[in-house]
Amino acid sequence: MSQNKVMSGSISYQQALGNYHLQKQSLEGFPAVELSIDEKQLLKEFHPDHRHETITELQVGPNKGDRCHKQIADVLQADSRIDAADLAGTRIRETDVLVIGGGGAGCAAALMAAEAGAKVILATKLKLGDSNTVMAEGGIQASIEKGDTPQSHYNDTFKAGHQSGNKKLIKKLVMDGPETIRWLIQQGMQFDLNEFGDLLTRKAGGTSANRVVYFRDYTGLEMMRVLREAVKNSDVDVWDYSPAVELLSNESGHCAGAIISSLQECRYVQIKAKTVIIATGGIGRIHLNQFPTSNHFGATGDGLVLAYRLGAKLRDLDSFQYHPTGVAYPQHLSGTLITEGLRSSGAFIINALGERFVNELKPRDIVAAAIIRECQEGRGVVGDSADGKNVMQGVWLDTPSLEARKPGILKKRFPKLVQLGLKSKIDITQTPMLIYPTLHYQNGGVVIDENGRSTIAGLYCVGEVSGGIHGRNRLMGNALLEIISFGRRAGARAVKDRKTRGHKQITIDHISNLRRELMQNNMPMTSKSPLLFPEYAQFDSAKNSTARNSSSTFCGVCDQ
Amino acid sequence: MNHNLNDKQTNKKNENEVSLSINGQPITAPDSLSVIQALWHAGYPRVKGVGCLDGVCGSCSVMVRRADSSEIKMELGCQLLIEDGMDVFFSVFELPPQHNYELSRINTSWDVQTEFHKIFPEAEKCRHCNGCNKACPKGIDVESGVELAVKGRFRESGELFVECVMCNLCMTGCPEFIDPNHVGLFARRVTGYFHTRPSNLINQLEAIRTGQLDVDIEEQS
Ligand SMILES: Cc1cc2nc3c(=O)[nH]c(=O)nc-3n(C[C@H](O)[C@H](O)[C@H](O)COP(=O)(O)OP(=O)(O)OC[C@H]3O[C@@H](n4cnc5c(N)ncnc54)[C@H](O)[C@@H]3O)c2cc1C
Ligand code: SF4
Ligand code: SF4
Ligand code: FES
Repeated sequence: MSQNKVMSGSISYQQALGNYHLQKQSLEGFPAVELSIDEKQLLKEFHPDHRHETITELQVGPNKGDRCHKQIADVLQADSRIDAADLAGTRIRETDVLVIGGGGAGCAAALMAAEAGAKVILATKLKLGDSNTVMAEGGIQASIEKGDTPQSHYNDTFKAGHQSGNKKLIKKLVMDGPETIRWLIQQGMQFDLNEFGDLLTRKAGGTSANRVVYFRDYTGLEMMRVLREAVKNSDVDVWDYSPAVELLSNESGHCAGAIISSLQECRYVQIKAKTVIIATGGIGRIHLNQFPTSNHFGATGDGLVLAYRLGAKLRDLDSFQYHPTGVAYPQHLSGTLITEGLRSSGAFIINALGERFVNELKPRDIVAAAIIRECQEGRGVVGDSADGKNVMQGVWLDTPSLEARKPGILKKRFPKLVQLGLKSKIDITQTPMLIYPTLHYQNGGVVIDENGRSTIAGLYCVGEVSGGIHGRNRLMGNALLEIISFGRRAGARAVKDRKTRGHKQITIDHISNLRRELMQNNMPMTSKSPLLFPEYAQFDSAKNSTARNSSSTFCGVCDQ
Repeated sequence: MNHNLNDKQTNKKNENEVSLSINGQPITAPDSLSVIQALWHAGYPRVKGVGCLDGVCGSCSVMVRRADSSEIKMELGCQLLIEDGMDVFFSVFELPPQHNYELSRINTSWDVQTEFHKIFPEAEKCRHCNGCNKACPKGIDVESGVELAVKGRFRESGELFVECVMCNLCMTGCPEFIDPNHVGLFARRVTGYFHTRPSNLINQLEAIRTGQLDVDIEEQS
């Protein structure tokens, strides 16, 4: 899936491994070249966000005229999956709060709303907890160390976002930090502690203090299994395998619920709600610029589409985070994240000549751009993938030297990575992993206020689907903080709206408006969105039963 | 532990297409693919049972019998590389959770033991049949985890479940309906809930509560 052309002069896997071991054993170790570089220039030339050919202007909707990645524009300006005829005879359910998406943000919102006495339905695409949250490794930020302050956290976050984040949102985020950790502990989450029971903290690229708290390299797994258990043991009504395909609106254009596609029953259900909270996460599985991704299977940007169609304003749709250390080989793990914790602990990144070419602790966009530069300029490691279809490329993540300097560190601190290596028959204490940047995070998203409210009444958006907190670049650990802090805010706030409004009439008029606008602008209406699943899962061909393999004894969607 | 990727890299003839059966369908695909990828590769839709694709969400459990053995093993479909002659079935069972509890209803840490036995009355009936251990794709000593919890050693019990992805395979295998993974998670949660009291966190919470720490959004460092 590598998106760049591989240079003909590139160095083969074997040769590069030879260079690596040669330099590793040499007295002076890996020579460091070009560590001081013009970062602005590097980003401009090599960061995927800066490829002009991939940026377009939106033609319809509230962000008309704004810059947007082409592949995101394609889904925002596609046709709806729903026709008025689809709704005839559908089952209708009512609730106070409808939460769409069962990751960390959705669970936090649902728990708060239910605790305050609201009737809550949480509808999620796959199973509760199948999310980006469960995969998070590195940790969550909160200023808790002596000498660290919310102000420093604020300053770091604002600066990392290239001064473009929303100051009020960032203030709420950082002030919520310690309380968020306390709340998670009260849900039964564990963190790594020192011998006195204090929370252990570490730095992340771009933080001025030790501010990331964590649980091994399983922070997201620990968080998600605890939240999932808490939700399942609460009054929240959980609907698995129930992706939202469209929102409902009322006579004044306010959000009034959603249409859910029940995968198990193969039919639509309308859920009328006084408030809707979208928490559908990110876009990795749209594979921007054909990059592999670290994201879970359901990360197809659905929430952006749902909100945009109803008229919610979005922001920073041309800014994405490519994590520098994604697995490049073996192929079945391509795109899988290797935690930044390794670089924080001192692991080097080495090119095919056996050289260090970037300060590994620079922000993610810089390190990612530097890796892409090495590969484009012929200093990457190149090999054919096993099916001969893709040529993969990358550079080394130097775990063996880290292990040599700090014996035992890999097994103790990074058990997940060691496991991953073993499964691929690579002993990472001896052999470096081949890595390449992986599409990781959507920096922007739906514009929100301090309680997660979008610009449309009755519609809240929290977590990765929202934008504004991280500006145009996110610090490690701030996403997990955001989903809990703003998830809780939205859940608590949504309950207050409950008494104030009732809907007179429920409509899908916004879809007719969308179609009219698309037609007026001569947009092709050949594809439909939200995507729900990446193309290779062949969801739509399975649903369209004529295309279903006739010899198949079951449907991969509903197992029937 | 030797890595065998080099010959795969340099010598294309070694790269193997393997044939196997997934949910009864004959499939041929390169051996570098996982079970889920192989299904997609062969043109079969697959959505159900797919989640993180990273081995941590526990949604993709499969049963597998390898060519050279009659033993049926449990694995995670996103992590399992296909092999020639494999027979793979996606698990279909989805059991509703049997137990219900809220941490906030347990008054003090003195009551945990009593509450545990009320919530999980089957746990002490464990017959040490090893079924859960055999089912666990993460190699967790589930049985000992249950035993420790029954004895009230919740911290130690919970430690065994650090890598548990809640795939529920141990639960399906348990003849006593113990829900061993939920026992493990209970053990972990009460440990966090009652015994994590970090002074660095508490001090900072206090400083924020009393207004000693605040953020001025115009101040720049
Ligand atoms: C591999 C990895 C490692 C990471 N590590 C860290 C880290 O160490 N620290 C950190 O702070 N951040 C980290 N992040 C980022 C962070 O995990 C995510 O940004 C965050 O968890 C997003 O949470 P969320 O609740 O907004 O979305 P998610 O957790 O992705 O949940 C979204 C949910 O919505 C569901 N959904 C999607 N579409 C629909 C629909 N149409 N209808 C119904 N449901 C739908 C999805 O199935 C999913 O369950 C990492 C991300 C990845 C991928
Ligand atoms: S302990 Fe049970 S739920 Fe956890 S990973 Fe093992 S089999 Fe799955
Ligand atoms: S399967 Fe059930 S009864 Fe058997 S050892 Fe495990 S917990 Fe005990
Ligand atoms: S898809 Fe999540 S564990 Fe396999």
